[in-house]
Amino acid sequence: MKAQFWGVRGYVPTPGAAFLRYGGNTCCVSLRGAGGELLALDSGTGFCQLGVALMADDFQAGRGELTLLITHTYWDHFLGLPFPGIVHIPGNQLRIYGPDSARGPLEMIYDNMLAPVYSPVFGLAHIAATHSFHPISSEPFQVGQLTVRGMPLSRRAQSPIWAYRVEEAGRALVYITDARYTDDAIWREAVHFARDAEVLIHSAPYLRGEAVRDYGHSRVEDAIELALEAGVRRLYLYHHAPTRTDDDLDALVARCRGELAADGQRLDLDAAREGEIVEV
Amino acid sequence: MFARIWGTRGSYPVARADVLRYGGNTTCVEVRAANHCIILDAGTGMRLLGEALLREPGAPRQLDLLITHTHWDHIIGFPFFAPIYAAGWRLNIYGLSRTRASLRATIANALGDPLFPVGLEDLRAELHFHEIQVGSAFELGPLRVRTAQANHPYRALAYRLESDSDVLVFVPDTGPFHTVLFGDERIEWTGAPGAGNGAEARALAEMRAQVIELAQGADWLLYDAQFTEQEYVRFPHWGHGTADQAREIAEAAGVRELLLFHHDPRRSDAELDAIVAAQRAAARPGLLVSAASEGRLLLKGGT
Ligand SMILES: [Zn+2]
Ligand SMILES: [Zn+2]
Ligand SMILES: [Zn+2]
Repeated sequence: MKAQFWGVRGYVPTPGAAFLRYGGNTCCVSLRGAGGELLALDSGTGFCQLGVALMADDFQAGRGELTLLITHTYWDHFLGLPFPGIVHIPGNQLRIYGPDSARGPLEMIYDNMLAPVYSPVFGLAHIAATHSFHPISSEPFQVGQLTVRGMPLSRRAQSPIWAYRVEEAGRALVYITDARYTDDAIWREAVHFARDAEVLIHSAPYLRGEAVRDYGHSRVEDAIELALEAGVRRLYLYHHAPTRTDDDLDALVARCRGELAADGQRLDLDAAREGEIVEV
Repeated sequence: MFARIWGTRGSYPVARADVLRYGGNTTCVEVRAANHCIILDAGTGMRLLGEALLREPGAPRQLDLLITHTHWDHIIGFPFFAPIYAAGWRLNIYGLSRTRASLRATIANALGDPLFPVGLEDLRAELHFHEIQVGSAFELGPLRVRTAQANHPYRALAYRLESDSDVLVFVPDTGPFHTVLFGDERIEWTGAPGAGNGAEARALAEMRAQVIELAQGADWLLYDAQFTEQEYVRFPHWGHGTADQAREIAEAAGVRELLLFHHDPRRSDAELDAIVAAQRAAARPGLLVSAASEGRLLLKGGT
């Protein structure tokens, strides 16, 4: 299984020279299985860049198939979905998994997002590619040879947030973003969920002690502790804060690696970089 | 009057190496006159404007936000505009009056769960919503403001801002006035050219005349040029136009400088350079042509 980062920024895209190396587009990671299976995790503006890349493929001819795993429907994880050309070509098929909200099912949330007041698409009915929506549950499912599991991270009824674990031939990639470890039970479940993963992609916008407007996000230290406790091999810090420049992220990675080394830990740590391909 | 461009991109923001010069943030322009600050559209460029206002000593704390329409690319900067989280700021928000939902509800529904974690009640700035019409005219401090309708799905406004010495006209989203007439209903594009029946053709001609009237004698006309000719013929139903069409309006309105605007997310700096060069070669003598670039200051005598 090969993963590729298309958007690693949290909250809001950050165009500009200071953000080029790590990238300024919002959350999206693609996964390619050995059998050609294609998955994407989240559809922030990175999804638009993925869409451009896929245009060279079957998607141009209307024969593309993509399974999209949505963690939650906040803009930085979902708003890129209607823009790429691939969703406007008839014949392409998108299977979209994600949580329903107390406000309505995922399909309705997307339809509202495409309402005429917000989008020239005028509603989901006018998107040309075939879209099917599947409420995510804790029941594992298959995409070709890949096994996908979901885990609820936040039970806020209005905006539930899920994490995903994708396995192929015993090797796992775990994707956790916008986590709120509000109690021990959620923490223990997350450790269990990430157990022995080859790769953990975890949101880490801020450090503990950084004074920021708090949307309740887990911190860099949480991501590292989770990776260590779960026996993860490689951790990618993800969902970078819009204020973090490339130099800031270099420094953050150096500091984290230094602390891990001083602790005698063998965890491989990096900050997710747009465009980077990760062999799982 | 002077203005600063904070966002030039249309559809969605892009962060890439090949868009550094013209910029990747979506539409937002700041206009200053006396100590008034008027913001055109709330695309992601608005985040940078907010940071600049917080840094500026003596920045005006009462701001007017004029929204052309509420397509995502024109509102997604709003919750990242830091002054709205601070007490002591007041924001007057102007936008088109709609029958289906109030302007306030449209913004509130975009920001609230399950799409975004901020409710209007979480904001500390004072917000006032003002619903306006096509053809509305009003004053904001020393500036006279007038609107016209742009040819865009679900209708969008175009704005003219005029001081005693300068005129800036803002038409970020509009299709041309010869193929599709947009309104509140969706257009089913069948690929057939022409403007439908005679009534549609007359409505388009009238809308074009109003836009030219709005742009009359403008010092700066920021105008939708998202598409190339080849893209336009494939996607006329998205409600965007080409650089040729923008120049034609600028020439008809006797504009001083045309700034091509609402750049397509895929368009690179080099491609925009080529588009500008072609327009300069074609432009009537006396018309300046450029492509709007993020960070540029518009100041007469200073550009
Ligand atoms: Zn997020
Ligand atoms: Zn637009
Ligand atoms: Zn628009």
